[in-house]
Amino acid sequence: MIATDTAALLELVWAAPLAALTVTIAWALVILGTTKAADARREGHAGQATLHLGVAAIGAALFTAAVVFGLIVMTSKG
Amino acid sequence: MDSDLILVIVVATALAFDFTNGFHDTANAVATSISTRALAPKTAVGLSAILNFVGAFISIKVAATIASGIVVADLVDTTVIFAGLIGAIVWNLATWYFGLPSSSSHALIGGVVGSAFAASGPDAILGGGLVEKVIVPALVAPVIAFLAAGACIVITYRMVGRLRPGPVNRGYRLGQIASASLLSLSHGLNDAQKTMGIITLALIAHGSLDGSSAEPPFWVVVSAATAIALGTYSGGWRIIRTMGTKIYKMDPAQGFAAQGGGAAVLLTASHLGFPLSTTHSITGAVLGAGAAKRLSAVRWGLAGNIAVAWVLTIPAAASVGALTYGLARIFGDGALGPVLICACLLMLMVAMFGKRLRGGPALTAASTEAR
Repeated sequence: MIATDTAALLELVWAAPLAALTVTIAWALVILGTTKAADARREGHAGQATLHLGVAAIGAALFTAAVVFGLIVMTSKG
Repeated sequence: MDSDLILVIVVATALAFDFTNGFHDTANAVATSISTRALAPKTAVGLSAILNFVGAFISIKVAATIASGIVVADLVDTTVIFAGLIGAIVWNLATWYFGLPSSSSHALIGGVVGSAFAASGPDAILGGGLVEKVIVPALVAPVIAFLAAGACIVITYRMVGRLRPGPVNRGYRLGQIASASLLSLSHGLNDAQKTMGIITLALIAHGSLDGSSAEPPFWVVVSAATAIALGTYSGGWRIIRTMGTKIYKMDPAQGFAAQGGGAAVLLTASHLGFPLSTTHSITGAVLGAGAAKRLSAVRWGLAGNIAVAWVLTIPAAASVGALTYGLARIFGDGALGPVLICACLLMLMVAMFGKRLRGGPALTAASTEAR
């Protein structure tokens, strides 16, 4: 009986840290991109600023996708 | 007539437990946000209360797991459930009084296991279900949350550690609002459903609900959601202080890592249908985010006290549950025993809240600003 959910527990062991790391990296990209873009803009490097904003946008998209995926997981079960 | 009155008492007691669950576990969702000043205390508990309410409507999978997996429904009557709830409430109040974060879920399960054991002996307990659905995930959850949050904070510092602290802290405070919201939603999803499960079990035992269906009626969902939201809004400030400031002084990045790690563990567990403890997951994540930065920053003595409280939760709640069942049975099978016990519990609650209120608030906006 205990073996029944071993697969689910193993899934928990890898899926939970993976989800946490995805959200963490995504949000760190947002902060990294926006902060460096602000610095680059202040120094007059418009091209670099745009590049950093692109990184921030990718992070924001990833973060939003992770949150939406979490919400879908919650709403689709039962 | 007596069985109807007992059912009413059981439902009211279950909702009272749900309320204590709310104020006891508010800390899990908002302590780090308040500690890092991502949110003002009142704003934090208000937001958390709303999302707990919403979360309770999302799924009924965990409720079904509890109603059918921990004790043998055929051997359980409403008095057993009532006694189990009393065991859980008493343990929740005791740990709140001392400001210790402990699992309301374990208290509930322990209380029901104890009272079922007192009523019918070991045959009433589904040992395999208890181990598989409760004990193993509860041992695994804090470890996973600890490691996940630790890894998160290491990667965070590596990615943003050399940036100016001002924008980084502002960014993580903003992120904490999102992670606290997600955590509150998942808390409502997990914990309100435990009360739904217990009320469903009482309805089945009373004969008001078909035993083949462990899904809670809609009025049960609404009332459980309301009770946990009200409890959350009332705020368990003493435990918030323990979780947010006493274990270690965290920065916004650590707060985000702890909340993100804990929320990920809880949501994944919820997806898999485990009645996982929010407290174990978040405390594990808070410790992981602190230890990964600097081991000596964490007050391990306090962490040890919390761990002792966790170990004691099931046996202590089970003992109170068994004792309550015995006391209720002294007055026969009627409603007199539960009514007298409820009156005693109410007096105990008034005394405890009164004493704490006379001591002044444990945490205020002013005190968080002063740190």
